[in-house]
Amino acid sequence: MLLTSVIIILREVLEAALLLSILLAMSHLLHLRLRWFYIALAAGAAGSVAYGMQLAAISDAFDGVGQELLNAALQIAIYLLLLVIAPLLVVNYYTGERYRGILSAAMTVAVATAVLREGSEVFIYLSAFRYSPQPWSGVLTGALLGAGIGFSVGALFYYLLVGMPRRRALLVTCVLLTLAAGGMVLQATQLLIQADWLPAQVPLWNSSVLVAEGSLTGQMMYALVGYEATPTSFQVIIYSASVATMALLLLLTRYHQKKIRTVRDVSQAR
Amino acid sequence: MKSIRIYLVVALLSTITLVNFVSALHGYRASMAEAQQLFDRQLADTASLLSAMPASADRPKVVERTGHLAFQVWSPGRRLLMRSANAPPQPINALEEGYENVNFSGQRWRVYSHFSSERNYWTQVAEPVGLHFHLADKVVLESVIPILLGLPVAGLLIWFVVGHGLKSLHLLADALRQKRADDLSPLPLEDAPEELLPVVQSTNALLARLEASFERERRFSADAAHELRTPISAIKVHTHNLERELSQYRLPQSPVSLAKLQRSIERMAHLVEQILNLYRTTPDHYPAKFEPLDLHELAREVIAEQYADFAGRGQAIELTGGAAPLKADRFALTILLKNLLNNANKYTPENGRVEVNTRVDGDRVVLRVDDTGPGIAEEEYGRVFERFYRVGGDRHPVAVSGSGLGLSIVQHIARLHHAEIQLDKSKFGRGLSIQVRLPASPGYLFPNGDSSD
Repeated sequence: MLLTSVIIILREVLEAALLLSILLAMSHLLHLRLRWFYIALAAGAAGSVAYGMQLAAISDAFDGVGQELLNAALQIAIYLLLLVIAPLLVVNYYTGERYRGILSAAMTVAVATAVLREGSEVFIYLSAFRYSPQPWSGVLTGALLGAGIGFSVGALFYYLLVGMPRRRALLVTCVLLTLAAGGMVLQATQLLIQADWLPAQVPLWNSSVLVAEGSLTGQMMYALVGYEATPTSFQVIIYSASVATMALLLLLTRYHQKKIRTVRDVSQAR
Repeated sequence: MKSIRIYLVVALLSTITLVNFVSALHGYRASMAEAQQLFDRQLADTASLLSAMPASADRPKVVERTGHLAFQVWSPGRRLLMRSANAPPQPINALEEGYENVNFSGQRWRVYSHFSSERNYWTQVAEPVGLHFHLADKVVLESVIPILLGLPVAGLLIWFVVGHGLKSLHLLADALRQKRADDLSPLPLEDAPEELLPVVQSTNALLARLEASFERERRFSADAAHELRTPISAIKVHTHNLERELSQYRLPQSPVSLAKLQRSIERMAHLVEQILNLYRTTPDHYPAKFEPLDLHELAREVIAEQYADFAGRGQAIELTGGAAPLKADRFALTILLKNLLNNANKYTPENGRVEVNTRVDGDRVVLRVDDTGPGIAEEEYGRVFERFYRVGGDRHPVAVSGSGLGLSIVQHIARLHHAEIQLDKSKFGRGLSIQVRLPASPGYLFPNGDSSD
């Protein structure tokens, strides 16, 4: 039981922790106050418990695929919020403090949604064992090991990002946000395939020999970029499209902001 | 990074957690694999033991009470020779040499099928998978749990160790915080750890440079003032001569410019004298000589000396109070009195009043000067002691000449004597009241001659 617990909890905690680390590092880069983060954590935690309590009702909705659909909706919501957050990061980086209220709000909702999504899974998994005759200690130990590894990787990742020189931090954060956004959409498609809302297809390739999904590296890559060893062609297309959308949006914003700054610098020089 | 301590604790704890937990997982998997092999070997041993036992082919023998173990022994003609009570009469698994997991009797079993070439018997031995698993799980968990429990302890220890490691940084911060604005002495170097040594050294170098530049600035103004004295005296003599020469021409009246010139020279001489006084009375440099004297008496002498200035403007000056004995530097106190009286004389309008009062208040001797001048707004009380600061700034009444140094000098002398200065409204209703509260015996109160703010 221990290994299963470790893998399930690690997967969920790692996913949330990496996104949180990126957004926290971004907050640090822009000197935002941390209040938004605590509010988001509290809201996410409360949401997960509420989700777990209402699990039966949620699962029964939409002909028994309510849970998959709700999870997919949450993933897509995070993707859309990242589409707002990343360009605002670029705007704030180049032309000083602007739209900070919107940025803080978007980050709060994104973190709360991510915590809700992953926290509910953990809550559901652990509460399933409450009435099971299986010994608790193995499950709990596994959960603690998984959570410990997940949070540690998240904390070290955060310090790695924060320790980067400022000029490189923007590029790295944007790349990570883009990949994470792609991962969100990929997971959403997976859930929609499970719910039969999207067609199941033959996998395009199988890379589990290189990186197995169950390994620690596989878990890390899954959490960071939505790694899947056997993706279908449809998933690959959706992933590429969502990453391309984000990248394009970021490049356009950067080009626009640089132009504004140049114009401002020139007018100031005069 | 907001706090080095939090950063170190979180980063170290994360690293330890990551390394420990991943190795614990690795250990768990390795131990489980090892346990599996052990159980498999046991099954193999049991199988060879069973195949060596005699069995009759007439009627299959059913063995009761085999614990968790289930087994079957088959003859070469695939006839059941012997089985445990919990095993079915049909073959548990295909008769092929090796291990496999199969389901029967509502459980999952680990089955070992063995062919004995001596007697041509097939033996199958099975044990519930769950049993193995739970046993191994329990043993391995015992080794993982201490790692989990040790983590909070490690966190607490790291917190204290890091705190201890950062102590020298706190000490340095405290030393810097406790430094007074005018204290440019170097920071103590003893026991500074290697990592902080460059910080302490560069701070000390900076303090030394600052001290040198302050000293240069003080010296420059003092030297400049000193050097200016001679030419000013020469100009004074020349002006005096000029006045005499002009009087030979018997002009109807002496030229206005000459009077203005003389006034300007007086002002310049006064300014140079004040700059010199300011430098001389700097508490760090002044060679104070504390001697017993009576402030009341000293005030009388200074008033007598400056009486002409007050009489010239029709002002009434009055000395009240009684004997005020104290230990102080006579020269410095004379300068202090002169400056206070000079200010009162300048700012009090003609025919105004000035009162000087001395009294003893406990272990303090209080000097108080009240005038009927325009006074000073309360919000400016703090600023009037700044050098060259003049009330009203550019709108300072031109008629009143002054250097803007008088109160800075008074403050220097007060500091030298560890005295307090209080500004207030005058007892006459309008005007300023300056009170200087001197300790009766500063040398006794502060044996080190330490100055306090």
